[in-house]
Amino acid sequence: MRNKNWKQILLFLAPVLVLFVAYFVYPLGFVFVTSFTDWNGIGAMEFSGLDNYLGLFGDETFRTSLGNNITWALVLGFVQIPLAAGMAMILARKPKGWKMFRTVYFLPNVISQVALAMMWLAIYNAEHGILNSFLELAGMSGLTRNWLGNMTTAFPAVIIQQIFYIGYFMIVILASRMGISESYYEAAEIDGANIFQQERHITIPMLKGILITTMTLALAYGMRHFESTYLMTNGGPAHATSVMGILLYRNLGALNYGEANAIGSILIIFGGATIALIRWLFSRNDNTSDSVQ
Amino acid sequence: MRTKRIILILALVLFALPGMIWAAGGQETGDQEIVLKWPTIWVGEDSKAATVAALVDEFNEMYAGKYQVVIEANPDYDAYRNKLNSQIAAGVVPDLFVFNPDPTSFSFYEGKDLLMDFSAELAGDWGDNFVSGSIEGATIKGETKSVPFEVGYTPVWYNMDIMEAAGVKSIPATYDEFFAAAEKIKAAGFIPTSQMTGGTNAWTSMLWFSHIAASLGGPKVWDKPITDPVFVQAAEILQMMYADGNTSKDAVGGDAGVAGGHFLAGRSAMFINGPWYIGRVRSDAPDVYAATKIGPAPGAAFSGAQIGFPQTNLAAGYTDDPRKKEAVVAFMRWMTKPENVKAIAFDSGAMFAVKYSVAAGEKVDQLQAQFMNAVNDASFVNSHFQFNFTTDVVAEFGQALAKMALGRATPEEFVQQIADKIR
Repeated sequence: MRNKNWKQILLFLAPVLVLFVAYFVYPLGFVFVTSFTDWNGIGAMEFSGLDNYLGLFGDETFRTSLGNNITWALVLGFVQIPLAAGMAMILARKPKGWKMFRTVYFLPNVISQVALAMMWLAIYNAEHGILNSFLELAGMSGLTRNWLGNMTTAFPAVIIQQIFYIGYFMIVILASRMGISESYYEAAEIDGANIFQQERHITIPMLKGILITTMTLALAYGMRHFESTYLMTNGGPAHATSVMGILLYRNLGALNYGEANAIGSILIIFGGATIALIRWLFSRNDNTSDSVQ
Repeated sequence: MRTKRIILILALVLFALPGMIWAAGGQETGDQEIVLKWPTIWVGEDSKAATVAALVDEFNEMYAGKYQVVIEANPDYDAYRNKLNSQIAAGVVPDLFVFNPDPTSFSFYEGKDLLMDFSAELAGDWGDNFVSGSIEGATIKGETKSVPFEVGYTPVWYNMDIMEAAGVKSIPATYDEFFAAAEKIKAAGFIPTSQMTGGTNAWTSMLWFSHIAASLGGPKVWDKPITDPVFVQAAEILQMMYADGNTSKDAVGGDAGVAGGHFLAGRSAMFINGPWYIGRVRSDAPDVYAATKIGPAPGAAFSGAQIGFPQTNLAAGYTDDPRKKEAVVAFMRWMTKPENVKAIAFDSGAMFAVKYSVAAGEKVDQLQAQFMNAVNDASFVNSHFQFNFTTDVVAEFGQALAKMALGRATPEEFVQQIADKIR
């Protein structure tokens, strides 16, 4: 049925549509099209077919970076979110000092990522870092090492510092958890359910939508991860911590725009596929999900 | 009807607003004053910041109502470079800017109507201000689309207090002497060399590698392919500098802050950087400043080499507005005026492609004087690795070096990893 107010609707939509096309659709299309070219951003573009993509998948550094991004996504999605959810469930029970803990966990989200990275660089430093000093004090000198300069420990070291920043997702889940009526828990308690049973059979099912949403977001963040790795290791040592964002950034710096845009396209495709996969996994056989993604 | 009009006016304002904002940020203000925006890295804690700001103020005062240069602070060098690349690729070239002359940045010259060509102006008396060969170095196919400005020389900085405490009497003349000295320095409780594999270019180690390559391969070493045995041999020596405690534990993965920090703190005995670092050492580590001796790296088949290169060129976005071009040239001439360059040089310790004279009574910074002597005494001057390769190859240097330093690659594999990155 045709809406008789279509002119007004169109008028209101037009500014947003124009902005959406100009700042999202057009750049996206431009990135995708130029990913099939050999272009330095200044001279003429030369069509190179799939060369950029074939070159990337044949490059060990790119494969490592892609693998690292997938690891980031899995860790953020399946470790950070359960940690955030667990903490939200604990705080929702309002133990003593819960407001302070809520603030403390959220605090890193209002601190610059650069400042946090500098702090972790100081913690991990091989010469005068707190971690090595602590290990030495504890009589475990054998465990001291150059945490960010060792190919075995660098990647876990960067990931670990990020995992514990659960504040953002914790607040989102906590807000949703606070919306669940206490009467469900009171009824369960009368029926003899302990805390774990209450969380298992009341909280988790009722938070399913927000858990899927936060997990999707975390997976997407993992696929596009860049900041802390760039600031802490710049992808090193020997590409051990490299992610696709760093390769993209490096190619932009070298004016390899064709290859940079191929990486950008792969990032978009993998990011989109990850979101689609997680949505499909969690929402099949379920028509009740209220996730917003 | 009234509602429709209001909606229409609102929509028009919404569309017109970005245009109005853009227009307000245009190039001319007031009574046809030409405003030139200059995003620059010489701000904040940079050793040239204060004098550069004073010179800009003086220029603005001199041309009040006619020209005005507005500094836009970009204190992060890498971010500045990447921002510039993106802007230029998008065809939005700043009125004034600076860049590191290297194969990647020189590709800016390829763009039609991207950069202003100064060849006609430099052919006149203005060109006489510059050190011989520097304008040629900024000229491609007859076009001089940048003005040579800062040059870099990177000899070795020796902390003689540490050397003497370790019983090392003189700076090592060969690599055998170097490693013998390193043993004594370690025994005295110090770190022999500052190194780094991190940052965008593994700067300090890249310079060590360039020095070693010059001493092994001579003045034409960069004409050889990177897989040449000379570079493999240079890699072997660099690998030894990372072994057996010859550098700090945080060198692998460390950045310029790590390498420079150990030298500033008086922990490491040998370090490499350019003259722009003099101001920092003088202010932050006066004891180290007093103990520093500038000299060549150890020699091998060739001795007494120095590493020198154009460090920063001044450039401007192309314009077909003759008044704007006039303003740009006036500012470029002002910044490269010998007495102004001398002021920056004396204040920061940096060295320039512009000639200036030093009167008998004028006191030159003692480290800067040592730099000048080191350059004058050099048997030959080679450029560094970074000057000869694109930025992605330079970035690969640090990654390949880390792999070799960690024992995961041989010197042959190190050079091959770099060679694989060359397009």
